Amino acid sequence: MQLCDLTAVEIRDHIISKKASAVEVLKSCLQRIKQVDGRLGELESGPEAKEDTERVHAFITITEDTARAQAEAIDKMIAEGKDPGPLAGIPATIKDVFCVKGTPSTMGSRILANFNSPYTATPVARMQSAGAVVLGKVNMDEFTFGSSTESSAFQPSTRNPWDTNRVPGGSSGGSAASVSAGEAPVSLGTDTAGSTRQPAAFCGVVGVKPTYGRVSRYGLIAFGSSLDCPGPVARNAKDAALVLRTIAGSDSRDATGANLPVPDYLKLLENEIKGKRIGLSPDYFQITFPNPETGKYLQQLVPKEIRDAVMKAADIYRSLGAEIIEDVPMPNTCYGVPVYFVISRVEAASNLHRFDGVKYGHRTVSETGNLKTMYAKSRGEGFGLQPKLRILMGMYVSAAQYSEQYYKRALRVRTLIRKDFEQVFDRDGRYKLDALLTPTTPTTAFPMKAVYGDSVLMQYADQLTVPANHAGIPGISFPGGLDADGLPIGVQLLGPDFSEGVLLQLTHAYEQATLDTDWRKISPAVLREVKDG
Amino acid sequence: MAEYEAVIGLETHIQLNTKTKIFCSCKADSWDEKPNTNICPVCTGLPGVLPVLNEKVVEKAVLLSEAMHAQMQPISYFDRKNYFYPDLPKGYQISQFDKPIAKGGYIDVSIPETADPQGKGYTRRVRIHKLHIEEDAGKTKNAHNIRRVDFNRCGVPLIEMVTEPDLRTADEAAQYLIRLRQLLRWLGISEVEMERGNLRCDGNVSIRLKGNEALNEKTEIKNVNSIDSLRDAIRKEIDRQIRETEKGNKIHAWTLEWDEDAGVLRKMRSKETEADYRYFREPDLLPLQISEVWKDSILKDFPERPLDRRQRFSDQYDLPMYDADILTLERGLSEFFEEAAAAYKGEPKKISNWLMNDVMRMINDQKLDPLKMRLTPAYLAEILKLVDERTINITTGKSLLQTVQDTGKSPTELVKEQGLAQVSDDAQIREICVNIVKDNPKEAAAFRNGKESIIGWFVGQVMQESRGKADAKMAKEILTELLCK
Amino acid sequence: MAKSKQEISRETFDYLVELAALDLNKDEADYLLTELNNQISAIQELEAIDIDEDVPPAMHGVSYTPENSPPLRTDDWIECEDADAIIEQSPVMDDRYIIVPDIPHTTLE
Repeated sequence: MQLCDLTAVEIRDHIISKKASAVEVLKSCLQRIKQVDGRLGELESGPEAKEDTERVHAFITITEDTARAQAEAIDKMIAEGKDPGPLAGIPATIKDVFCVKGTPSTMGSRILANFNSPYTATPVARMQSAGAVVLGKVNMDEFTFGSSTESSAFQPSTRNPWDTNRVPGGSSGGSAASVSAGEAPVSLGTDTAGSTRQPAAFCGVVGVKPTYGRVSRYGLIAFGSSLDCPGPVARNAKDAALVLRTIAGSDSRDATGANLPVPDYLKLLENEIKGKRIGLSPDYFQITFPNPETGKYLQQLVPKEIRDAVMKAADIYRSLGAEIIEDVPMPNTCYGVPVYFVISRVEAASNLHRFDGVKYGHRTVSETGNLKTMYAKSRGEGFGLQPKLRILMGMYVSAAQYSEQYYKRALRVRTLIRKDFEQVFDRDGRYKLDALLTPTTPTTAFPMKAVYGDSVLMQYADQLTVPANHAGIPGISFPGGLDADGLPIGVQLLGPDFSEGVLLQLTHAYEQATLDTDWRKISPAVLREVKDG
Repeated sequence: MAEYEAVIGLETHIQLNTKTKIFCSCKADSWDEKPNTNICPVCTGLPGVLPVLNEKVVEKAVLLSEAMHAQMQPISYFDRKNYFYPDLPKGYQISQFDKPIAKGGYIDVSIPETADPQGKGYTRRVRIHKLHIEEDAGKTKNAHNIRRVDFNRCGVPLIEMVTEPDLRTADEAAQYLIRLRQLLRWLGISEVEMERGNLRCDGNVSIRLKGNEALNEKTEIKNVNSIDSLRDAIRKEIDRQIRETEKGNKIHAWTLEWDEDAGVLRKMRSKETEADYRYFREPDLLPLQISEVWKDSILKDFPERPLDRRQRFSDQYDLPMYDADILTLERGLSEFFEEAAAAYKGEPKKISNWLMNDVMRMINDQKLDPLKMRLTPAYLAEILKLVDERTINITTGKSLLQTVQDTGKSPTELVKEQGLAQVSDDAQIREICVNIVKDNPKEAAAFRNGKESIIGWFVGQVMQESRGKADAKMAKEILTELLCK
Repeated sequence: MAKSKQEISRETFDYLVELAALDLNKDEADYLLTELNNQISAIQELEAIDIDEDVPPAMHGVSYTPENSPPLRTDDWIECEDADAIIEQSPVMDDRYIIVPDIPHTTLE
């Protein structure tokens, strides 16, 4: 087995026990990247070559020199008997939504293509202080607007390692794909409407959306300020727990960070799940959407394969002593997407105001002699269509005459969505759940270019993930099998505020119970030649 | 001609004198620094940054709210005001829109006789609409057809205070600013140097026929950098509006910029085309909650307000209002006065006289802090007592002020050290007087011939001869006696 | 093609584009206007929901209590490590000032 295919915990243990050096691990990852990733995403990428369609293209920037320096420093510390930290030598990829000092931090957009960040985001800094080796910045939907990574200004955009004709999901597509393809054991992504969990589901890896405020947002280029959650992507619960433990916790630079101690998530993994109450809700096994012609609500059941994967997980939990409670009502789930449409766009339009060509990023080179024109041209040239769409929608919804009607109303519906969760998680309520078990997405990875032009349908796919963002609660997606096309199916757990420990524990229990299943023996398509070779 | 009255409201932006900016840890005061040196990722609006509120800003806002008799809100919210401008790096300003930290309140502004057309002087109660917390923008400088942007000032904490349109004359507006400045310094909230932009004021002006209640279209006056400019600008605008109305023209809601050099107002832009700011709650900040416990701890040493103290000084110390006003211009000076009066135990007016003249001159010339001077209130009282006891004469007393300030030694000590004691020995003075009269027969003759005022010259000579130590009163008596012989 | 009860008119669209300071070519403008009108249906969905009078708006899903809320910042100066690196990101600089074109303003009177 290659070093780069080991788990993060295994890699760290290897390095600390000197079975392998951090530099060797780094080399292994870099070699894997060379084998499967293909060319970097770039602005003027030219036409798509055939080879492009067979590669992963997770990266926008590879920071090989600093990674090497970091790895050498780790090895030196170990040689000197010093403690390099809990993430010693673990290679990591960072979604390009995070500012990392000295690297281009692009947000997948032309408007920030030349932005070299003068500071590092807190979660990344914490990983670095703990000894992680940052390999580079990975691709994403432009400004996180999308569910397939295709809207990135840096092309070729990322492809799914399981089938490179399919999307990796988005917006943290690069994060999920890089971990899935063995380029790094862990990645740091962000989840605003499911953007860590959905690509994790599509790429067959674990994706964590922590509770809002659990992980500092300082340095996370903002889109949906009340929704964004940085979180780890990893191959298993243990690795995810390790990273989460490192990055979580209050930060004096984030006024929305929860002032609560961080549990040792690793220790909690081995807790018994006997007696845990896990709910199944019919509202999560269907997609409820309005008929575009009539506006009436239609229901479409989630495909049987996906449903079966979730029910299988329920069986496993039952066999381990958990109680499965069925028919848990979550009636406001279907409003998650329209509420998200409104709230996220108001926040996004405002958050994107700062990209005006004055202080950083793209400024138009055409002669303007006029500030207003400079703004309009810089932003017009720098933003892709998807950001422009969201900005305009945000402007419309928050304009003075509509604000009360649309924006404030959406905030009230958000309360209803939150109440659904409060009621089922209430210790004194009827259901007393420890977690809800649901599918992550209503489909497995769809083909490239399938829905890029039709934003409404792409958005309704977030229906099962976005309620957690509105409510602020944590969620995890973990691999629960493969569908008939051999594509990964994601299973999701949702829990009460700050219950990441329980969710990781449940994920771990599922993993342990399914270690020898057949589908775990199958690897992503891009790796099949590599591994054999 | 119809009689008009002006209706004026003022909007002031007060820069707080906290150590650091409102949402980041850069310095709040960077007046003397090179451009773009007092900056950080947060106040330059870099991607990914977040605001974190400075607790001292809240404390100062609570103090001001109390001083203005306003209703402090236990919960208030921050909002984003979105618009594009180069001095606004985030593209929005974090402010408070509909749920500010305090609402209502008032200040009673005394209008002196000189500013009263009736010549009597009166009080104008100016009601406050609201006061709220917000961040300052950076600075831009025009240079030909470009602008140069400096973010040093971006993020400095501001309190915006908006009055109701209760002011009726340009003089009243000026008095409001004067009293507000006094109050802000009194509370230690702001340095209020208008030239440094610590206090900025915009005026809203409209007119109506006297007796009418309705409000007419108002214009906004901006860019006044001193109290005098404000007075001038408002006066000019009132005159203009009256002229236009008499001609039958409409008053439009213009924004007018004051040109200090030319002394004129220029139209800037119409208020109608102002941007839609799309206010919404700032998601990066939690609601501002001020508990009773916190509020009480902030207000536990809340001082007597300056105008209240002025009244009390007048009542309690039997001082003319003129004195009370000057003594309470600055809090430090007023506290000095009370301590000195308490130590003196004599007629407070005497302390007041010394303070208002010689001591204040010292303070102003040498930029001293009354509460930190080496000339303490106790020492001042001591000097006055020494003069009362005729241990020293008044001239010596006055020069002792500076000596005490320079050395920090007590007056009694200095008198002893430097032998400054007044010569009150009848025999000594008599000897000097006799000699002076003998040596100046011409002047003596002049006195005897009726020029009585020349006695002053004689006293001066005695003072000179005695190196200032003679008891002048006694000298005069003796001289008169001698000359009248 | 969505049939919406309400539609964003061309005039409103142009106003929004001006408010957002975006320079669009004709194709972009057409696409965006169409998409916006497609997405308006989301707003209609929200309008149709029955909400009780007393349901408050939620700025954040998570509830912040005095126990879990972070404290305010103390008034202590922290020197910025690298002011130079920040302004070096600016496209046009001169003598430590960031340079932008001027705003056209009318001064009449």
